[in-house]
Amino acid sequence: MKRRDHRLDDGGYFFLPIFAGCLIVAGLVHIATIFLLPRLAEKDAFARISAIAEPHKVVLLPDGAGGPFDDPALAQGVCRFDLAQGPLRLRATLAPDPLMLFSFHARHGQIFYSMTDRSATRGKLDVLLLTREQLNVVEASDPEDELPQDLRIIAPTLEGFLLFRALAEFPGEMGDAKARIQSLTCGLDRDQSPEQARR
Amino acid sequence: MLQIFKLIIIALIGLGLGLRATYYAVERGQDEGFGDGLIFGSVKAGPWTGWPKSGSRDADPYARALFARNGETPLGLTEGLSFLARADSGGKTINPFCDYVVKGSIPAARFWTLSALSPEGRPLATISERHGFTSSELLRDTTGGFEIRVSASAQPGNWLEIPSDQHFVLMLRLYDTALSANPFSVTASAMPAIVREGCQ
Repeated sequence: MKRRDHRLDDGGYFFLPIFAGCLIVAGLVHIATIFLLPRLAEKDAFARISAIAEPHKVVLLPDGAGGPFDDPALAQGVCRFDLAQGPLRLRATLAPDPLMLFSFHARHGQIFYSMTDRSATRGKLDVLLLTREQLNVVEASDPEDELPQDLRIIAPTLEGFLLFRALAEFPGEMGDAKARIQSLTCGLDRDQSPEQARR
Repeated sequence: MLQIFKLIIIALIGLGLGLRATYYAVERGQDEGFGDGLIFGSVKAGPWTGWPKSGSRDADPYARALFARNGETPLGLTEGLSFLARADSGGKTINPFCDYVVKGSIPAARFWTLSALSPEGRPLATISERHGFTSSELLRDTTGGFEIRVSASAQPGNWLEIPSDQHFVLMLRLYDTALSANPFSVTASAMPAIVREGCQ
């Protein structure tokens, strides 16, 4: 009994360090897990898309295959990429009015580029997605007196996906919206494939 | 001996608390709406809350952790802006037994949509199979104003049907909007109000 009284009398010196220690450890664990989660999560958008879409082609997301908080008025399609196999080329011929959204997602969920159909010049979109090393190779073979005609985007991760969304302004237009997504061409860039580069 | 015991206690309690905090931030937050609040850089305008940075390279760690867990693909900042409402303009949580009218102004955007979703962000099962309205299909009055009636029973005009016994949230999306350049400048008066009408 006497001993316990002594501990209570010591001004909290027994419990205070334990309490502070717990908070510090809790803070570190919390921060570490929040930062690690995107790398460990098994049900993230990339996993969801990998399960239904082969890389380097445009795949429409079937109904119910989207994520939470999707806009029901949008048709969605994806093009998965793996830059280890070479740069990715996206080409589109877009009608002037309907809304088309393009976003570029890195492996762990980060959106590293996004644009709408308004970014197209004269209805054409030509995007080359590559790594910094691949960009160096491409730039080395660029003609010196011409500006490149394509938009070149550096991806922060080798794997990831492009997400295409088309607005169906009226419920009956969902089919048209899906057709607009399927009219996109997305695949390994033929000019920059590894076989070509080796020659 | 006491020192080692202390360290073990600290490590165990700290680990428990830290994991608990992460669980609340990411898992429970999805169902109950705490998670939305934890993401930094939110912009509030009336009943609406948006997280414009979630769709950019500047997405904060909480946003990334949440999206990694729920598989959400947010809108890219230059694609448009999303705003979520879990409460009405009076500050009361949206109640599935009440009727609501969404009306007022809307920030300039090439297109916008208003949709009702479950609190977890999934489509609601309705008989009319309507989950939302786009700016193109909306019936407007002579001055270009609009009113969307959110109700479980049929309404004249723009009727957004909701199931009578299921909680829901409202989501407003602005596509191709000049607001993307400065999303934090949006004010309550620029956004539509969510007005509660009668309740069952």
